Amino acid sequence: MNDPRVTDYALGELDPAAREAFERDLATSTALQQELQETIALLEALPTAITMNETLTDSARKTLRESASDNLRSRRQNRAARRYVISGAVAASLAIGATALFITRPAKEFVSEERHTALTANSQLKKESSPATSAPAEPASLAISKSAPSSVQIASARPADQPVFSRETTAAAPKFDGHVDYGSPIYTGKDLADASSVATTSTQLAEAVTRRDIAGGAKTSSEDRTTSGAAIPVDEIAAAPAGAADSEEIAKLPSASSPESPAPASAALSAASRLVAGNAGVPVAGQASGGMSKVASLRSSNLAPNDDFTMTGVRESIFTRRPTSRIGDSSVNTEAYDSIKANAFLDAQGNPLSTFSIDVDTASYANVRRFLNDGQLPPAGAVRLEELINYFPYRYPQPDGDVPFSVTTDVTRAPWNEEHLLARIALKGREVATDNLPASNLVFLIDVSGSMDEPDKLPLLKRSLSALVEKLSARDHVAIVVYAGASGLALPSTSGEDKARILEAIDRLEPGGSTNGASGIRLAYGTAREHFLKEGNNRVILCTDGDFNVGVTNRSDLVDLIEGERKSGVFLSVLGFGTGNVKDSQMEQLADKGNGNYAYIDSPAEGRKVLVEQMGATLFTIAKDVKIQVEFNPATVAGYRLIGYENRLLAKEDFNDDKKDAGEIGAGHTVTALYEIVPVGQSLPHSVDPLKYQTADKPATADTPRNESDLFTVKLRYKAPDSDKSKLLEQVVKADSTVKFDQAPEDLRFASAVAAFGMKLRADATDSDLDWNTIQKIARESLGEDPGTYRAEFLTLVQKARQIAPEETRSKDTE
Amino acid sequence: MSPETLFDRALERYERPLVSYARTITGELESARDAVQETFLRLSKQDLAALEPRLAPWLFFVCRNCALDHVRKVVRFVDGAVDHETPDPGPSPADEASSSEDATQLRTLVARLPLQQQELVRLKFDAGLSYKEIAEAMRMSVSNVGVQLHTAIQTLRQHWRHAESTSTPPWTGMRGNPIQP
Repeated sequence: MNDPRVTDYALGELDPAAREAFERDLATSTALQQELQETIALLEALPTAITMNETLTDSARKTLRESASDNLRSRRQNRAARRYVISGAVAASLAIGATALFITRPAKEFVSEERHTALTANSQLKKESSPATSAPAEPASLAISKSAPSSVQIASARPADQPVFSRETTAAAPKFDGHVDYGSPIYTGKDLADASSVATTSTQLAEAVTRRDIAGGAKTSSEDRTTSGAAIPVDEIAAAPAGAADSEEIAKLPSASSPESPAPASAALSAASRLVAGNAGVPVAGQASGGMSKVASLRSSNLAPNDDFTMTGVRESIFTRRPTSRIGDSSVNTEAYDSIKANAFLDAQGNPLSTFSIDVDTASYANVRRFLNDGQLPPAGAVRLEELINYFPYRYPQPDGDVPFSVTTDVTRAPWNEEHLLARIALKGREVATDNLPASNLVFLIDVSGSMDEPDKLPLLKRSLSALVEKLSARDHVAIVVYAGASGLALPSTSGEDKARILEAIDRLEPGGSTNGASGIRLAYGTAREHFLKEGNNRVILCTDGDFNVGVTNRSDLVDLIEGERKSGVFLSVLGFGTGNVKDSQMEQLADKGNGNYAYIDSPAEGRKVLVEQMGATLFTIAKDVKIQVEFNPATVAGYRLIGYENRLLAKEDFNDDKKDAGEIGAGHTVTALYEIVPVGQSLPHSVDPLKYQTADKPATADTPRNESDLFTVKLRYKAPDSDKSKLLEQVVKADSTVKFDQAPEDLRFASAVAAFGMKLRADATDSDLDWNTIQKIARESLGEDPGTYRAEFLTLVQKARQIAPEETRSKDTE
Repeated sequence: MSPETLFDRALERYERPLVSYARTITGELESARDAVQETFLRLSKQDLAALEPRLAPWLFFVCRNCALDHVRKVVRFVDGAVDHETPDPGPSPADEASSSEDATQLRTLVARLPLQQQELVRLKFDAGLSYKEIAEAMRMSVSNVGVQLHTAIQTLRQHWRHAESTSTPPWTGMRGNPIQP
């Protein structure tokens, strides 16, 4: 006999009704009485049995009390200072931007001076509740943002042996004035000192990366979080000397007491510049904003509402990034987008082969939609044409036979250029009814860092997940791993049958702590492997807003980890959430490496689309490493260009190389690739002069007679999800299959409208340009049945883009 | 009440149970003490007045994470999984001397429970937390706390009873083999 109520009853944890019922049963069962008696005896014996009398050592307790009372005191002071801080918020956040620029320049002596000033400013802040930041926000911010370039000049112009700033609080500002020709009266020493203090704070933090206690000292309460950027410096500075560990940190900074020692300063400098450089996409034309974005990351990672999770260190962005050509126009934004260089026209003579990996991601569309709905044009790097096109469901034929997907090809006239052709290669993955999906072993790896505490992040994620849980069957298993400062298992792998338990775990997710992705990702993969389903779908689903700190692990380690796990059969999908911090390309890349997909979820509807409607496609891979190679026939094609897939291009040799990773296709997924083709007889836009030393015209020999009927041949390679050997498909497209645009299939016309829309948003298609009106018209005429009304929504997006970027104001000179 | 008073009270009330709890996880005293110190240090950075109503779960949750951190640091798990077979802490000689044989047996049995159940037992019977508080501290559902705790208690009960009725305790010679419920 083993009645689960016995323990609850003995512990008084049964509710009255259950207790009554239990007592009734108890009266009739001697076995139960016996059991209860024994249990009670055990419960009585337990406390004494397990009591251990160890406590902290007396000296440890004493130290603890001292540190704690310091912390408590500084907490009170912070609260008093906060009033001033809020008013100075804008100023200080801009100051970081300006100062980040200092740090990235190799000016050692300046950095050590900076530290000095910082210390000065530091004590200033402590003693006087920050006079600098209490300055009116507006003029101060102007001053700082303008001061960035001139300050750099100051740094390099100053001889190394010049006297550095005195440590006296009052002396700092005048000395600054004495040395520097500001060129404008609004630059004050205080502004700069303030900027420096902020910079030094990040320097300290950089050094403290592995020192959890110190980083912990930098942490503030939930109240602090409600203030903006400037809360960091003040809290940081006030907290730093307070705790025991923190004062140790101050002592550790040698340049604080000996400004002549450049070595540690430069170490700090490199640490700091790593921080800044690691910051996503320091934009070429906007270094200040690159620095500023750091503020936001610092804020999001350091200011946790609750100290629920271990703080493992300052967030150090793992992804060093290529310069971004265009970043969002919004001022403080840590979103990162890789630049995309649109595919140019290639001549079919010299480059007959076009090879790329398929891409079923749709994140870019949702992201673009978010921007437009906010009344902004998306940064060009956020617009991935293939993801826009592939966002929409198309009615391509179901595959027959053994091939997991169907391939359809058509050719029509390009809507933006009557002389050019538009070729479509359309793939459709086999539909699998949700009931017939193989069992899933899902591990959700959820970012619960402080930055997720926004309505469109964690709460949206919880809603989306709950919707998914409703669809799970008893065969499926779900686990939840959360990561922030420390990672932990929020829900051990649980059967889909136990919905209540899963929902409860989802419900309990709360934001708090900084972000530490690496240990979380390991724990998630570990959990997935523990419950590995041989025939099933084993997947880690990373849900984040983009902050992804891996602590000591660097980027390639992380990629290696994901790739290694991919080989073990656990795939990775990435769901992006929220605004202001989306590390778009980073998340896409992670998903690519993990044989998964990346979706951006900006609304409950999108969450439903990705996780419920397209659950099969999102979660169940039917073919992996799908590559497409197109060979164009120079006899009929002068040149071509692939629309989109810019970051999916492969070398032609990669096509037959089964070791090369490529995109996956899920159940029911549709994939569309468009080529713009210049037929023979037309000149290529931006064509090069004919070669002088060799004849380009050499395709037809006796062995390969000129073939005037073929336009191109499509070859596809794919692997079954559990196989390492690829299979080949081939299809020839004839030149005479070309149809007029208005007779082209509805889906093709709609896709071309989406492509034109994307190219226009990117402003990269100077010679494939349609006006908004025509785009709308094409889309409207090809709406079709529009299940899910996604196409109708597209129309409204075009309308929005049109309002934001009217035809005449749009820049046309970008390539 | 001033934050200082609240802090002192928390220290007074929870220092010992926290050390015991952390030791369940880390398996040895020193890192357990470190974890508890870290926990209180973090507590001092919180808004104590606001935290008051859920102080116990907060403390045990943070302490748990700190302790697990220590475990990870020591063991350097390749896959990040938490080892649930942490070494049996065992009673210290002092404890051994002070407790009865009966209690010692029970303690040995507890130490052989799965780690999660050990934690639950400790939170319930040593720290005196309610199911709800335990649920919050362990990030489990309340009903699951009940189920797991019941499993633990019944496992203990069966083996304990067995031990009482026979002269040779069942665990003799099988130290280290956790008892399967």
